[in-house]
Amino acid sequence: MSEHALPRRAPRPKPLAHPNGWWGMALFLGSEAVLFGALLATYYYLRFKAVHWPPLGTPEPKVVLPLVLTAILVTTSVPMQLALRAAQEGRLAATRLLLAVALAVQATYFGLQIHLFLGDLAKFSPGDHAYESIYFTLVGAHHTHVAVGLLLDVWLLLRLSTGLTRYRLTGLWATTFFWHFVNGLAVLVVLTQVSPAL
Amino acid sequence: MATTEVLGLRARERIGRLDRIWEERPGLVGWLTTVDHKRIGILYFFTTLAFFGAGGVEALLMRTQLARPDDHVLGPSRYDQLMTMHGVTMIFLFVIPMTIGAFGNYLVPLMLGARDMAFPRLNALSYWLFLGSGCLIYASVFLNMAPDAGWFDYVPLALKRYDTGLNIDFYALGLIFNGISSTVAAINFVVTIFKLRAPGMSLNRMPLFVFAILAVSLSLIFALPALTVDCVFLELQRRLGFHFFDVGHGGSALLWQHLFWFFGHPEVYIIVLPAFGIATSIIPTFAKHRMIAFPLVAMAELLVAFIGFGVWAHHMFATGIPTATLVFFAAASMMVVIPSTIQIYAWTVTVMMGKPEFKAPLLFIGGFITFFVIGGLSGIMFAAIPFDQATTDTYFVVAHFHFIIFGAAVFPILGGMYYWFPKVSGRLYHEPVAKASFWLTFLGTALTFFPMHIVGLLGMPRRVYTYQSGLGWDAYNLSETIGAFILTAGLLLIFGNLVWSRFRGPPAGPDPFYGGTLEWATTSPPPHYNFAVIPTVTSPYPNWDRDDRAEDARKLEAGELVLEEGHETPASTVRDGYLDEVLEMPSESWWPLTLGVFVTLLFVMLLLAHFVVAGIFGALCVLALGGWHAQEPAEA
Repeated sequence: MSEHALPRRAPRPKPLAHPNGWWGMALFLGSEAVLFGALLATYYYLRFKAVHWPPLGTPEPKVVLPLVLTAILVTTSVPMQLALRAAQEGRLAATRLLLAVALAVQATYFGLQIHLFLGDLAKFSPGDHAYESIYFTLVGAHHTHVAVGLLLDVWLLLRLSTGLTRYRLTGLWATTFFWHFVNGLAVLVVLTQVSPAL
Repeated sequence: MATTEVLGLRARERIGRLDRIWEERPGLVGWLTTVDHKRIGILYFFTTLAFFGAGGVEALLMRTQLARPDDHVLGPSRYDQLMTMHGVTMIFLFVIPMTIGAFGNYLVPLMLGARDMAFPRLNALSYWLFLGSGCLIYASVFLNMAPDAGWFDYVPLALKRYDTGLNIDFYALGLIFNGISSTVAAINFVVTIFKLRAPGMSLNRMPLFVFAILAVSLSLIFALPALTVDCVFLELQRRLGFHFFDVGHGGSALLWQHLFWFFGHPEVYIIVLPAFGIATSIIPTFAKHRMIAFPLVAMAELLVAFIGFGVWAHHMFATGIPTATLVFFAAASMMVVIPSTIQIYAWTVTVMMGKPEFKAPLLFIGGFITFFVIGGLSGIMFAAIPFDQATTDTYFVVAHFHFIIFGAAVFPILGGMYYWFPKVSGRLYHEPVAKASFWLTFLGTALTFFPMHIVGLLGMPRRVYTYQSGLGWDAYNLSETIGAFILTAGLLLIFGNLVWSRFRGPPAGPDPFYGGTLEWATTSPPPHYNFAVIPTVTSPYPNWDRDDRAEDARKLEAGELVLEEGHETPASTVRDGYLDEVLEMPSESWWPLTLGVFVTLLFVMLLLAHFVVAGIFGALCVLALGGWHAQEPAEA
């Protein structure tokens, strides 16, 4: 497109507002926030009605490992944000590298968490008591979100292998937003999860 | 734009180019792959109308059973299924998809001066998911396994111990599925409203109908997850032996009610707010006067939606929760009166200030205001805790919410059908028959639902399949049933009028009622690209600004804001509506239908407890999403 045609089609070289994809993600995350709000509210609703939490005979939740893992997961917000900035400045190689670093850490976190989850399932079952039911549902919902984030990362890396477009930049922008949200939520979920043992 | 002959050669060339760029494939394939918001709106319209018919037949069967005491047209279990399906259908498969899906889809981009929704393929997906969820829920009826624990599906009745078939699983999975459709539709509307407004349409110049759709969409986004979580809990408990709702294992039966009504009360406003929006469209046109207190009405619409999130426990006044809690929710419930009253005054005073022409759409709005005031007054009565506790689970409640849900929500829908019929079909409806149909519907509604107040106060409980004679309820029940059939006759007359007018009505022209919003600034029916020139807006009633619209014709000749070089629509800044960029929009696609089919099969497999097969369909959904996003827009 020639330079003088710009004002007729778009008044500025760079739009002022966030892209539609970012807004779509923002609203989707609003819905997700209520979803987790309902899960967390259920946890405390059931807990405050219970005499023993966890019920007698159920081991207290592990504390140190989940907290350490969550702390590591939260740090991946940094490479995600840097990847977004690199992409906005058109630095493709840096974008891919930073995204790959984030993906590696997030995937390790996910693997270890699934290991812990299966370990818990071997010790107590969601069919035992309301405590186990909400424990596994809450933690499982969080892990599902991490898994979705991993899929988004992999998809972005695949798309970025053939270059950077505005569409892919918006995708990265939305995915970064998603990860910031999941990481923030991870803190609330893990604090709730370990709270009976504190 | 209807008067092509007065256009210059270059203008005609530009229109020809737009036609070629925006045209979709003809025939069935075109409908299956469409991303045109108008065609999706029409698909929604006819699908929801079919569900409205089903829900109506269910209501008539119930009223027939209740016409006389000790009757046995239906057995108790059949009655429970019909009653539950009536509620589920009218709320999830008729009113929401009709107002958001049909009216919203067709009208919002037109009123905003846009060429499509922000996410056209997502829009198609929300329709296919809606169709899939509706079919899944209705499959239960043909298998004689319809949900049967009431539309609010209270536990413990809905637990496996008391409801052993698949009935409740149809309900829970169907509503989770339906919720996905509504959520993606709502997100799409909010982004469209924020980003795709015509240049110059700052938020304070946005049509009030669009404000209502914005309020509803935000409510859906923030309310539906509570229902989804609730239904997931229910399925986990019924299928996999989790314990959320049984006290014996540390659960709580009231947990269901809290989560359900956290969704369920915003839901009431989700149902009724689009009706407010339709009223604020019809009144200025026929009163020939702009809405008075325009910003207050806009704020009131948003405020109703907001307060709706703080009142849910008023559905639970009789459950034994602490009095302090009750008082908080009673006070919050009374607050709803303020924004509602602002709107009622604004509607009536606008009519009084203008020169009202009482054509059928305005008559329906008159009916709406009447019923809304009556239903609103009985609503305030429920905010008084002792009164609520005395009348809970009686027909008084049924009377109240039918005045709101039928009188206040459906009447504007019916009026809106007449009002926008010329825009969608290009033909005028038959006015005298339309007026007759209004009076028949009005009379039928009053006769059906008003006596329910009295039998309720006389103690008749709701959700019973029959009753004894000699309790003083017989005459009221009979009149309710007669009313229901009169109402049906009125509805059939409306649809008969529209069908007849579709083929025999005189041509309407672009703007038969001299409406103020932008949908009247284009041809009837609008072209695929909606507007040959993206209109520039300088007031809340842009179609009454004749100079601005005359300017559009000049721009078409000069080629300004025509965007005939690609499949494009402009995007604006979120608050002020400054022209920001030009977006390449996606064209027709098979992916929404493909993904819709996979998601439907995923839910069918979950219902049948084939979890491995369900997982395979889940993976196919992910692959379909990959294929969907492999199609990127051309870089400008």
